[in-house]
Amino acid sequence: METIVNPEQTFQRFHILHRILHMVIIVNFTLLAVTGFVLHFSGFGWTRFLVSLMGGAGAAGWLHRCCAVCLYMGVVIHLCWLVYYKFVLKQNLSGPDSILPGKKDFKDLYQNVRYCFNKGNPPLFDRFSYLQKYDYWAELLGMQSMGITGLILWFPEFFSSILPGYFINIAGYFHFYEAVLAVMYIGVVHMSDTHLAPDIFPMEKSIFTGKIEKTRFMEEHPEEWKRQQMINNQPSG
Amino acid sequence: MVLLLTVGCFFLALLWFSHARAETDAVPPSTWFVDMNQYAASAHGSLRCEECHTGMIGNGAGQGIGKSHPDPDAFLKTRSRTDFDYQACQKCHKTAYARFVTGAHATAAEKQKAGEKPSKAGLAPDCGECHSAHYSKSHLSRSQTGRIMTKTCGTCHQDQKESFLANYHGKAGVNLGYERAAFCTDCHGAHTIVSLKDKEAALNACRRCHKEATPEFANIIIHDSTKNLELKSDAKQAGLKWVHALRAMVLILVVAVLAFFYLHTGLLMLRKLHEKLRRHK
Repeated sequence: METIVNPEQTFQRFHILHRILHMVIIVNFTLLAVTGFVLHFSGFGWTRFLVSLMGGAGAAGWLHRCCAVCLYMGVVIHLCWLVYYKFVLKQNLSGPDSILPGKKDFKDLYQNVRYCFNKGNPPLFDRFSYLQKYDYWAELLGMQSMGITGLILWFPEFFSSILPGYFINIAGYFHFYEAVLAVMYIGVVHMSDTHLAPDIFPMEKSIFTGKIEKTRFMEEHPEEWKRQQMINNQPSG
Repeated sequence: MVLLLTVGCFFLALLWFSHARAETDAVPPSTWFVDMNQYAASAHGSLRCEECHTGMIGNGAGQGIGKSHPDPDAFLKTRSRTDFDYQACQKCHKTAYARFVTGAHATAAEKQKAGEKPSKAGLAPDCGECHSAHYSKSHLSRSQTGRIMTKTCGTCHQDQKESFLANYHGKAGVNLGYERAAFCTDCHGAHTIVSLKDKEAALNACRRCHKEATPEFANIIIHDSTKNLELKSDAKQAGLKWVHALRAMVLILVVAVLAFFYLHTGLLMLRKLHEKLRRHK
């Protein structure tokens, strides 16, 4: 065990695959949002300019569909990785390191709300805080419903042969409102929670570099830190 | 500096695009007075006046086959467009005229002749009401025609125009200039003016572009509006209820989720900032 603590010491937090998939999400999510909203808000003159930059409404439509397919490939790769992680690497998907929501997350939320009003201490998070878990699940489940409503809008001829016609209209509204939700959530809550938090500002880099500094590790994921120290200390102690 | 220039150019381009769009929209209707410069550049520009206004051949004293020009009974006293006898159009536009005569607009005109109210809007349009005979240009692209058409039809069919512009077809076609989008006449027919309340007719209209459309495809609501419900088929009236109920539900859900997380993150940020400032005192 190291006895001299290097203040610059970093720990691996994200696997290379997850960092790449996060980049895939960033690029495709942004392009999807832009190409989608220019159609919905096409009544304004400036959207016509953006669309002409993309090569017209037809090209923007294809870009939207291509990005959707790329993004969903990311989901598929992620799910494949989960299967590999569980059955080949024989790792545990539940437990304290897990992204699955647990009782602790609701307790943490309650404690955090109390903390906001200066009642008690901030919650001690494990590997993923409840907000990080929510980000993950909102994204993963949101992409399923965006995918389904998107497919309905992409192939209305097929889907109207198995569903009532007005379901295509419903899919249209769902697709739009969920897009608004996603952009307004990611753009404000996710961005401020990761980058704007006073201790992190101006930028959180760990999802890009995969590394987290020791001080931040101890501060933001104290439960995980404690467990790691215990595991590391066991053989020597 | 370069960044500033880029941003400036970007906004200028935005302005130009907004402006360019407004320009292509305007086609003035025919009135008693004709701007000959604009007329010469129009689709009919090569025609002599008498070819349509046969009455002008008269000698000015009310003799011959026509009336005197200008006609003292009508000039500036009646609506120029209603005064014209549009039978003259069929000389060249035979098919269009034949279709128009059987269409819903001509039926409304007959009602008006019989002294009834022709339609809800109180108008029975003839050729000149939709087509600017003196100024309409030829060789326009589909989307240019579509944009003008949406405006023209929309003067009477306001709700339908709004709902069309809220639909994918209208947004891509009218707003973004997508040539393959369907415009008013692509579904409703240019001169026959079919309401498409009849399912068979509606499906045929869909199939012009959507070749694999099944009967249920015609129940997709294009004019998604709760106004003029009586003009819609029963299936669409029933569908609209579901669509708007679910839409309201999703809207409430979205607002609730966003309100919760905005409040949560906002409070937390303030609390963390407070903590940080206190520590640095």
